[in-house]
Amino acid sequence: MKSYLGHPFWQTTIVIVTAFAVIRFGIPYLPPLIGLASAPVPSTVVFQYTVTVIVGLLVWASSNEERWQAFKGPIWSLLVRPEQRVLRGILLVLIPGLVAFITYDTVRPKFAAPPTLRSIHPAPPSQITFRGETMVLDRLENPLRAAGRTDEASATGKTVYYQNCMPCHGDYLDGLGHFATGFSPQPLPLRGGGTIAQLTESFVFWRIAKGGPGLPREGAPWNSAMPAWEEFLTADEIWAVIIFLYQQAGVSPRTWGEVVE
Amino acid sequence: MMRRLEAAVVAFPAGLLGRTALAACAGISMLATLAHPARAQDGERGKLVYEQWCSQCHGLQGDGTGPAAQRMLTRPRDFTRGLFQIRTTAGGEIPTDEDILHVINVGMPGTTMPAWEALLPEGDRQALVAYVKSFYPPFATLPAPVPLTLSSGGRASDDRIAEGRLFYDSIQCWQCHGQAGRGDGPGAAELDDEWGNPIRAADLTQSWMFNGGSTADDIYRRLRTGLDGTPMPSFSDLLNAGFMTDDQLWSLSHYVRSLSPADPPQVQEVIQVERAARFVEVPRLASDERWDEVEAFYVPLVGQIITGDRAFDPAVTSVWVQGIHDGTELAIRVTWSDRSKSPDPTWQQLWQPRVLAALEPKGLGREPGARPDRLSIQFPAVIPEGMDRPYFLMGDSDTPVNLWQWRSDQTRPQRATGRGVNDITTTGPGILTSDAQWVNGQWQVVFRRDFEPNNAETELRFELGRPVPMAFFVWDGDSGEDGTRGAISTWYFLNLEEETPVSTYIAPFLAFLITGALGLLAITRARRRDRESAIGGTPAAATAASTS
Repeated sequence: MKSYLGHPFWQTTIVIVTAFAVIRFGIPYLPPLIGLASAPVPSTVVFQYTVTVIVGLLVWASSNEERWQAFKGPIWSLLVRPEQRVLRGILLVLIPGLVAFITYDTVRPKFAAPPTLRSIHPAPPSQITFRGETMVLDRLENPLRAAGRTDEASATGKTVYYQNCMPCHGDYLDGLGHFATGFSPQPLPLRGGGTIAQLTESFVFWRIAKGGPGLPREGAPWNSAMPAWEEFLTADEIWAVIIFLYQQAGVSPRTWGEVVE
Repeated sequence: MMRRLEAAVVAFPAGLLGRTALAACAGISMLATLAHPARAQDGERGKLVYEQWCSQCHGLQGDGTGPAAQRMLTRPRDFTRGLFQIRTTAGGEIPTDEDILHVINVGMPGTTMPAWEALLPEGDRQALVAYVKSFYPPFATLPAPVPLTLSSGGRASDDRIAEGRLFYDSIQCWQCHGQAGRGDGPGAAELDDEWGNPIRAADLTQSWMFNGGSTADDIYRRLRTGLDGTPMPSFSDLLNAGFMTDDQLWSLSHYVRSLSPADPPQVQEVIQVERAARFVEVPRLASDERWDEVEAFYVPLVGQIITGDRAFDPAVTSVWVQGIHDGTELAIRVTWSDRSKSPDPTWQQLWQPRVLAALEPKGLGREPGARPDRLSIQFPAVIPEGMDRPYFLMGDSDTPVNLWQWRSDQTRPQRATGRGVNDITTTGPGILTSDAQWVNGQWQVVFRRDFEPNNAETELRFELGRPVPMAFFVWDGDSGEDGTRGAISTWYFLNLEEETPVSTYIAPFLAFLITGALGLLAITRARRRDRESAIGGTPAAATAASTS
């Protein structure tokens, strides 16, 4: 065993296998340790990293003539020594077999759903027609917030949210309501930095009022289960639920001032 | 008393065990009360957290009448009666603090109650336990509840499962849960909970929806404790009366567990349609045994809450989809649990009016009546080239969809064109055929059609290897569902498997030959050089690294 560990060929082999295992299986387990979601390493990245490791090891092995000769030893003896005839024969079948299998796996017909690319927050129109009335979205402020009626609006908004929005967007506004798994794409979370925190209230109003059917083409309107809430809610109810959303999610809306800067 | 328990929570937040011991030992917890006078603050915290996250369903007064409550058929729990479903204590007794915390932590699968463990800090959840208990004042005066001593049940085996089935019959589980466990028993239509609201008997074939957990241990615990506030009784008295042994109750638990798949089903985006063996017809009948050998794909359904009359608590929550084709003809079987073969006079009379009265929003002019069960499966009119598809909810005016409609009160299916939920025109069955059977609370419906449609202008033509978007809609008539009130899915993909073309095997074969040839070449060259070096005086192959 010791002679194996001291031998450059076996050292190289062990390092390659270990490196591959760490890249392929180890790295995905690191994020959960600090509380993040696990993410598998894409196969192209695994390939790239593994090749880098192999090249580095070959450079190391060949940088010293004595080590290089020792490194080549096992390969050479496998190729020529009569007593390794059986192993040689087995590998001569196994390795091409493996290559053939990988090739087959690459070329065989596979059926994946076509990718769905969509813009989550597409550019809003400059104005919309809400229940027959024209509303200019640009620079539009939440009238209830402007009038200082946030407490009352928040209470209304809470009722509206839990009666209407909760099945999909969830009790905790995390997009994980009890209906969420029934939809593809799944409903968006409303907490965190990526959603309403980076939007103006007028944008949120547009998304609530017009829903999936009101999305532009880049938003893949045919897939979105978001209702056009103007069918069920008045403008005041929508503005109220918006105030509640920001409050319950613990974030602030983006303001027009920031946009200008 | 309540003071004491809360103080115990503050004193030993780390271990459940510590608190159980404390609750059972009044003397020590008195000391804890004295040592921690800060519990009033804890109560404030509980109220704050409750009002922010719980009151919308359970109500500000804890009576289960929050603004969202009436959109759920299994109503949020009213805490003022001291009745809790998921406990470790005997039937009719109050739960332990750990029991309440456990439900807050893991939620109640199959209901709207989420798992809060990852969402709220531990201290907040502990404070909630105390606050929830404050809605039922006897918590403060009743002696501390003692959990039942529960045995452990060993492994499931065919014999135990068979024994469990005998007791399923003899203690009449089927009265509510039905012969096959789908909640369709003869008594199921008139079940109500302690508050007079209609309640569905659990479908025992969907363990991932079990309110109190899906393992045999969970099931055994519920058989021992009962589900207080629901019609599900505790069976501990049968043990005490000597009617059945603890071991036999475990067998029953294993039997109930065996009714569901071992693992919860995974949702897959692509539904694969297998190719039938050559020259064999695709199955015509829903009961054809060949369906048993075809993979079934799980499709969760949710209520249509997007437009019109909305269904916040639909009766059907999933379908299983299978497909077989023979190169020219396609058969699709859709299977789902449905407690009644609508219109069933019993359910129409005993169940439907109560559901319609209980569920908000009421829906204009929606009266109880004879409604059939329905299934629609939806395709686009042509296979989309790019990413664009018709709107998943029955299309829109620009891009219509094809619908294959089946209903339980008619023998022939209908083809229809959808241009939105309110614009659907039927065009008769054409070459589309269907077959259906309802057995023990389960519908199985087969649609069958040639790849070539009646009308190539307006209908989809299937092609091998080109996935087609597909969506599902199901209505339970006896729950008062029809029109826009029903269960829906978004787009999935149906793929008709091709035969693997011969050309697929050419590249792997060539790869094998080339790699093999290179290997042989390497060996031949190495041996030649080895011989050459041997002539030069170096011992052959003995010092393997002699040449470079």
